[in-house]
Parts: sequence; C-alpha cells; structure tokens
Amino acid sequence: MERRNFLWWGGGMAAVFSLSPRLAIGGSVVEIAMQGRPDGSKVWFDPYGVLIQPGQTVRWTNKDKGNAHTATAYALENYDHPRRMPEGAKPFDSDYLLPDESFEVTLDVPGLYDYFCLPHELSGMVGRIVVAAPEQTGFADYPDGDLNAEIIAGFPAVTDILARGSLQKDE
Amino acid sequence: MTRFFAFAALALASLAATPVLAHDPADAVATNPPDAPYQKVNTLVPLPEFLPGIGELFVDPATLPAGPFVAYNHDGKLVSTIYMIPLSRMNADTSFDDLAAPGGNVDHVDIYFNAGHPGVEEPHEHIVLWHVPVAGEASVAE
Repeated sequence: MERRNFLWWGGGMAAVFSLSPRLAIGGSVVEIAMQGRPDGSKVWFDPYGVLIQPGQTVRWTNKDKGNAHTATAYALENYDHPRRMPEGAKPFDSDYLLPDESFEVTLDVPGLYDYFCLPHELSGMVGRIVVAAPEQTGFADYPDGDLNAEIIAGFPAVTDILARGSLQKDE
Repeated sequence: MTRFFAFAALALASLAATPVLAHDPADAVATNPPDAPYQKVNTLVPLPEFLPGIGELFVDPATLPAGPFVAYNHDGKLVSTIYMIPLSRMNADTSFDDLAAPGGNVDHVDIYFNAGHPGVEEPHEHIVLWHVPVAGEASVAE
C-alpha cells in the first residue's frame, strides 16, 4: 500500500472524526496573510486553519515587511517532505514571496491539506486547510510520526477548523 | 533542511580558512557598499533589500551563517555588525571563535531571537553590535 493511501478518508490507523462542517466560506477567494513580528522573533500564517469548499481558491500574501515566506504543501515533491494532502491532489509551492507578493491555488479535491513555510517550518510556521462540501463528513487527522513534535504542535485541530471555519494565532 | 546543513558546513569550513583582511577593516565597511568580499544579502538569498530594524545588509558568503553581517542606513552609513548563530549550534561541541569585527567601535549590543529567514533557515540569535547610539537605531527602523 502506498503511504498516502492510508492517510486520508478514514483509512488505516488514522483517527476518524464524524463531524460535519458547520461553516464553509463560500464563493470568494480565501485570503491567508504571512505575518511576522518586526524583529522576526515570531512568524505565522493568519489564519493558520481554514475551511473551504471544493473548487475554492486560497491566496497567500506576504505581509511581513522584513522577511520572505513560502506556502509549500507537505509532499515528497516538495523538499522530500511527508505527504499530508489528499490522494489525487497536486502539490503546490509558492516559492519565496517577498513583501506584498502573493500566490494562489485552487483546491478541488476534498480533504486535509497541510503546508509549511520553507524557511520557518522549524519555528512552527505551518498551516492547515480543510476542503469540504457542506455536510461532508469523515475527516481524519494525519498520524503524528512523520514530523517532529514542534512542527506537529503548530497545526490546528481538524475538529476546531470544522467547528469554527477559520482559526487565528495570537501574535 | 538539507540546504541549511550544506550551507552551514560550507560556512564552518570557510570560517576556519578566512584570513584577516589585509587593510583597515573599518575603512572597508564604513560606507555602503563595503569592499569585496562583502555582497548584498538580497542578491544571495530572497530577502527584501532593506530590512526594517536592521537596514541594508551585506555579508561575505564564506562566513555564512554566522557572519559578520554589516548593516547600513538609508544614508549609506554603517550602523551595525550582526552575527546570526543557530540555536542548534549553541552547544558544548560548537564554538564560533575569532569572528571578524569589522565595524569598529561598538556603542551597545542587542541580542534577540529570530525565527529564521532565507540564508539562516532555522531559529537563531541575532547578536547586534551597534556602531551608533541607541537613538541612531531609528535610522533603520523603516
């Protein structure tokens, strides 16, 4: 079995949550800002957890005047990282975005997409997107063993994204 | 990650072999642009040309990631010398000895955490030797 085959839709050892999305952002492009403190001591995606519908577009914009950021999907194709996106979904990588630059991607395959900022992954700058049709259920978290604990701790819980639709971190 | 370690290995090897500059280091870096082998950081890695709170940054690539980096204000005046030390290398088996100090007199020092950026892609400390008074930091605030 390919590794990715058991990472999604309730397969294998992943825990399955039978929650249906309460809130799905409809229609427009969903904006995610890449943020940082002026001294660079903390960096983050804002929001770092979002719920969207299949076919919806996500746009990342670097709002951090003193740094460069990326939005890079967890996938073997991206710097040999473990795959954390639905089977059949195409990995994305924004490459480095300087201040005020943007990158967008349209996500069609339902499921859980985890992504990171290349120069800031070790500082926990990671994010999660849940792509789900209204009332869709069966979302599973990924197993924890593929990334170190500091990175894992940076992801919002799937249940929180489904419940609230959009999650922000404290600065 | 692999990129960083390759980067760091190159830097450490280079540190051991870096000769003392043959001429007055203060003159070499006093104004923007500094003499070779310093290069503008944003031509080496994807970063803004002017970094708020730091200024326009130059480094000898052979000394990465530790530096020294030298930073200039909008008027081209040297304001600080900066070292960037990865937290992972602040341990019993690593030391950074004899780092160059090209900027001359030091007015005061700031040490603060940085979450990372292209070039030093892991959490590290910025050790900033300011060559201007505290009030002079405003010249690189934005």
